[in-house]
Amino acid sequence: MSNHEEITAPSTQEDIEAADKLKNEANEYFKKQNYDKAIELYSQAIEKNPNSAVLYANRSIANLRLENFGYALGDASKAIALDKGYTKAYYRRAAAHMSLGKYKLALTDFEYVTTVRPYDQDAKLKYSECNKIVKKIAFEKAISVDKKEVNIADSINLDSMTIEDEYEGPMLEDGKVTLNFVKELMEYYKQQKKLHKKYAYKILLDVKTYLQNQPSLVDIKVPDDKKFTMCGDIHGQFYDLMNIFKLNGLPSDENPYLFNGDFVDRGSFSVECIFTLFSYKLLYPDHFYMSRGNHETLDMNRVYGFRGEVTSKYTSQMADLFTEVYNWLPLAHCINGRVLVMHGGLFSKDDVTLEDIKNVDRNKQPPEDGIMCELLWSDPQPMQGRSQSKRGVGCQFGPDVTHNFLQRNKLDYIIRSHEVKNDGYEVAHDGKCITVFSAPNYCDTMGNLGAFITMNGKDLVPHFTTYEAVPHPDVKPMAYANSIFNFLCQ
Amino acid sequence: MDNRIWSAEEEAIIATNTEATECKRCAVELGYWKDDYIGYFAKHVDRKAPEINRGYYARVKGVEMFIHQFLERCDTKCQIINLGCGFDTLYWRLKDTTQAVGNFIELDFPAVTAKKAHIIKRNKALLEKICNEDGEVVIREGDLHSDGYHLVGCDLRCLTDVKRKLSVAAAGAPTLVLAECVLVYLRSDAADALLRHLAAAFPRCVLLTYEQCSLDDKFGEVMARNLRGRGVAAPGRSHALGPADGAARLQTLGWGRARAWDMVAVWRALPDEDRARVERLEMLDERELLTQLNSHYALAVATTCDLFADMDLNA
Repeated sequence: MSNHEEITAPSTQEDIEAADKLKNEANEYFKKQNYDKAIELYSQAIEKNPNSAVLYANRSIANLRLENFGYALGDASKAIALDKGYTKAYYRRAAAHMSLGKYKLALTDFEYVTTVRPYDQDAKLKYSECNKIVKKIAFEKAISVDKKEVNIADSINLDSMTIEDEYEGPMLEDGKVTLNFVKELMEYYKQQKKLHKKYAYKILLDVKTYLQNQPSLVDIKVPDDKKFTMCGDIHGQFYDLMNIFKLNGLPSDENPYLFNGDFVDRGSFSVECIFTLFSYKLLYPDHFYMSRGNHETLDMNRVYGFRGEVTSKYTSQMADLFTEVYNWLPLAHCINGRVLVMHGGLFSKDDVTLEDIKNVDRNKQPPEDGIMCELLWSDPQPMQGRSQSKRGVGCQFGPDVTHNFLQRNKLDYIIRSHEVKNDGYEVAHDGKCITVFSAPNYCDTMGNLGAFITMNGKDLVPHFTTYEAVPHPDVKPMAYANSIFNFLCQ
Repeated sequence: MDNRIWSAEEEAIIATNTEATECKRCAVELGYWKDDYIGYFAKHVDRKAPEINRGYYARVKGVEMFIHQFLERCDTKCQIINLGCGFDTLYWRLKDTTQAVGNFIELDFPAVTAKKAHIIKRNKALLEKICNEDGEVVIREGDLHSDGYHLVGCDLRCLTDVKRKLSVAAAGAPTLVLAECVLVYLRSDAADALLRHLAAAFPRCVLLTYEQCSLDDKFGEVMARNLRGRGVAAPGRSHALGPADGAARLQTLGWGRARAWDMVAVWRALPDEDRARVERLEMLDERELLTQLNSHYALAVATTCDLFADMDLNA
């Protein structure tokens, strides 16, 4: 089947008539559903009269019937090229697109027809049906809970990314994070500059690889005489994160840290926060820990600013890669077998063990209920027993629930985050359930203090340090995009 | 007063209009409420936090509720005065309903009204609702006038300017004065003077305000600090009052009857179904922020005349 004709010189009258005759014959075969024969004859007709859009359009639908979708598409496109006003050709092409599953492209063609033929009910109907499909697909994609590993990571081609001469920012050394790199990175961020996307992607890929090998519950060993620091929600408040490091020292082998989720969203500097934290993770993998929070998820990132910020500073593809990386963040950490740390809280069932947590298949978006969901969403409550969560997800658990859980699992107490507290932290359930929240003056609105917890490996007694918010730059309005303050005076 | 300080403050206040309009457009695009005109006045921006969207929804719907009550009690000769109107689209949205307003007067800084007039002139959909077939649109000293709609540049901080510009209003007509987040930008005495004047000048009047309240706490401190950082004076003492005390204060300024509610109460009073629909639009991850915001904003209704004495939440 020849599909390579160029638009040639007009044929002779004889040829046109011959082609016409062949066309009519072909049409008859088409009506009798003898599509092969019809195509054969259309092709002969085309040889005689290569400039006829009708012939291509007719051959297109014959190909469609035979499920030769590629040919059908080619013919329809050719018909359109020969006669841009030939609406039937657009129908043919749309049909081919639909068969190839290219609904958005089909929609464009249907839309064209409805525009030039506004009173054509059939065109309207086809457009509307196609539109429904496009919308349905978009909706399903949006709510899909990782049915299969999409794997953006595999599609990233670092080699094709070049570093421009003008780039003055920090560079990975041999593809690796060094102490120099992290220090330069933090300085660069303070000047509100951007890490080159090549290094950004490399960090994400390396973090993903590392996290894939971690269990869902990570055991941390803190030697007797060593210090350990735990921080709660950061929520994109980069300058407050820098202040934490100023107050408590930079992370190192001697100064290990655990960040307990919700690194991003709400604040305006989520990108800076997450790359700083991920860099430290790669630099000190056994002395720097990160736990997943409810904001390390698709739904939250879409609504609360992170996805917007990443897309604006980099690309939406990177935002998708973040989803993959976040899926691998551990859900909880256990210090010296005695203190359990998770972002949200405990469970709606009594019999959950550390083993159960370790066995959670976490490479997904958190489900609507169950252990994974509750680890990220639950809140403690003062009264005994359990209640429905005020948030609508997870549960609320009382002192008795905490006590039983600790006893069952031979733990001393739990540390969690997830709730803003006036003083930055709160000790509840008789000292057994501690909340630590590290984002001061949350959303530029709440006026709260931030806090972090330090302890030594021997007695694991928590010590609290609180601090006020530090000023952050008054940058372009975008930086306040998620600041509640925008709303305050209008 | 040092002029340089004033104009920096002016710029900051004017900027709040741009941001407010963009926020409202964002909420409209997400489906919070219907507004076919906001797109002319603001460009599309990335989505805002859900609390912001819900906050605007509650405000728009709360104000709407009282506007309906006002119109129900009036005849067609009524008028609406929108103080600090910004790029509000209320005039066009009302035109689309069957409720006729005799006279609609919008006031704001000349920089804002000039821009708004420019946008109106450039867009047929806006212009055609301002003048009828034989009517005309007149531009006089930068102000836009038509039969039934006046867009007037004015410094609300200066009472003589306000008095002069309000000469287009009919003193005897039943009047609704709308003041949304505008009194907070006046010094206390200027705000008081303005409110006293309006009560005296319009004997058949209802005042509807949406302003901050209960600012004598940490939240208020934070807000004052943020405002100062933007070059705007901190809110006056009246904004430290709770809704009930705020209402009582309005009565001392010549408004015979006054009632006020914080936005927590207003939210609860909004029609159930629509409120439930809106709650489903975006999931809130926590409640603290929204509660904090809602308890620091209040809607107040004050009136100088018996006609409007029974206006109430859900009346």
